[in-house]
Amino acid sequence: MSNGSTLPETDVPRLSRWLQWRIFVRSLALQGSWNGQRMQNLGLLVTFFPWLRRQHWDINRDRLFCRRYFEYFNTNPYLANLLIGGLIRLETEHAARGEDPTLMARRFRDSLCRAFASLGDQLFWLGLRPALTMALCLLGMYGLIKPIFLIVAVFAALQLFLRFWALGRSYELGLDIVDLINHPHWHRAISWTKRAAMVLTGAVAGRYLSSVGNWDFMAGKGLLWVGMALGIGLPLILRRRLPGEALLGLALGLALLLSFAI
Amino acid sequence: MLLFPAALIGDTSLLSLGVLGLVAAFAAIDDVSVGQTWFGQPLVIALITGFFCGDPMTGLAIGLPLQLVLAGNLPVGQTFTGDSGVALTAAVAAACLSGRVFVPDLEQVGFADLGLLGWIILAGGLLSALGHPIIQAERKANGLLMLQGHKTLRDGSLVRMEAIHLRCLATTFGRGFVLVMLYLLLLMKLWLPAYVYLPGKIHQALGMLPLLLPGLGVGTMIDRYGLRKGWAWLLAGLLIMLALAALGV
Repeated sequence: MSNGSTLPETDVPRLSRWLQWRIFVRSLALQGSWNGQRMQNLGLLVTFFPWLRRQHWDINRDRLFCRRYFEYFNTNPYLANLLIGGLIRLETEHAARGEDPTLMARRFRDSLCRAFASLGDQLFWLGLRPALTMALCLLGMYGLIKPIFLIVAVFAALQLFLRFWALGRSYELGLDIVDLINHPHWHRAISWTKRAAMVLTGAVAGRYLSSVGNWDFMAGKGLLWVGMALGIGLPLILRRRLPGEALLGLALGLALLLSFAI
Repeated sequence: MLLFPAALIGDTSLLSLGVLGLVAAFAAIDDVSVGQTWFGQPLVIALITGFFCGDPMTGLAIGLPLQLVLAGNLPVGQTFTGDSGVALTAAVAAACLSGRVFVPDLEQVGFADLGLLGWIILAGGLLSALGHPIIQAERKANGLLMLQGHKTLRDGSLVRMEAIHLRCLATTFGRGFVLVMLYLLLLMKLWLPAYVYLPGKIHQALGMLPLLLPGLGVGTMIDRYGLRKGWAWLLAGLLIMLALAALGV
């Protein structure tokens, strides 16, 4: 997308590595002051401060800047830097032209934060996280500790690198970051991570079922099979997404029933 | 505050309690505030705690069933549920510091010790549920602190905004540190000693808990993806593992 408000590349000050690093470090704590009213607003505002301090504006302009970003803001933390870099570019361009960016910044922020929240939730919370969790559990079922740490460390390093890269890339793209959202790779990645999560869930179920066959120390093993089938079936029967802690209570109730039945 | 539980737990050194406090504080802050590296997930933090206590296998034995049953909990904004990181740190540390040793292979644990393992797992789940209203209260406090930022909208003081943000972060860090001390005290002085007074049938039921939890976890995940939509992928994973088991892998 080519946008009329974007300055030619040569006129836009570069985002220095040091400044990018400082903004990145702060962006990691985007959710640090999460609140029910305006969610990540304070985290977002504080993330901008290294850039804002370099502008050496008067108090009135600082005050107006804070007012712009003190409003409701919520997005996926892993993709937030794609938006933060774009907003810094927008602010930089408007500052260079001496224009007020309030309306444009608000529109850009509000539309993109929803889009990235939706993409991020699908990709990270419903795709990657369950897939990784199931992979870790499968390794745990084999008693493999080192690979568990390795996988989590690799994921952590990769996501931190991508968040740093995203900041620089979105600053380069400016408003054209919108094009990135339309890329079909997002939906392919979401659908493949979900499939991977399903295969791994099936694998955990397989490992679990095959180990139950070895539990000869259990009295009333037949009843345990019933309990296990009920355990797997209960969330499907209830059709309600209960928190894990509530499921633990259900499991305890089931165990008590089985215990008194044996 | 820190000396209080240390003195009661007895031979546990202040240094090891400090390390455990830092692990729990890291878990609290990683889960939702900073980085979200997933080192704060129940299984991983249980392993880390076990590692610091010299017995990562006990961490695995306690963390694995809980990770499976908590797999459906997502740390997303308002839907954030429980405080599993801090709870797991306390549960694993209490087991290790009181000399209880478990292995993830439930066959080797034996039925006699499975009850105690179930008792500790139950404690982990209950403490996680107990942490939920505390996190919600913390978030309400964040909201009140955030509103103080309106003063900056009048006077332009950036330092105030940063101070508010840091206070919120410090509160989360402090919550993890303080709660794990209190939980440890509770588990080591009340919860674990209470196990021997429970009737035999309850011991038996608790022994089944680690056996049933993975099933519930798997059921939750299947429900999340939809059995009708994902049955082919689920079946593929299931068959691969059953084939591997048949081959003795």
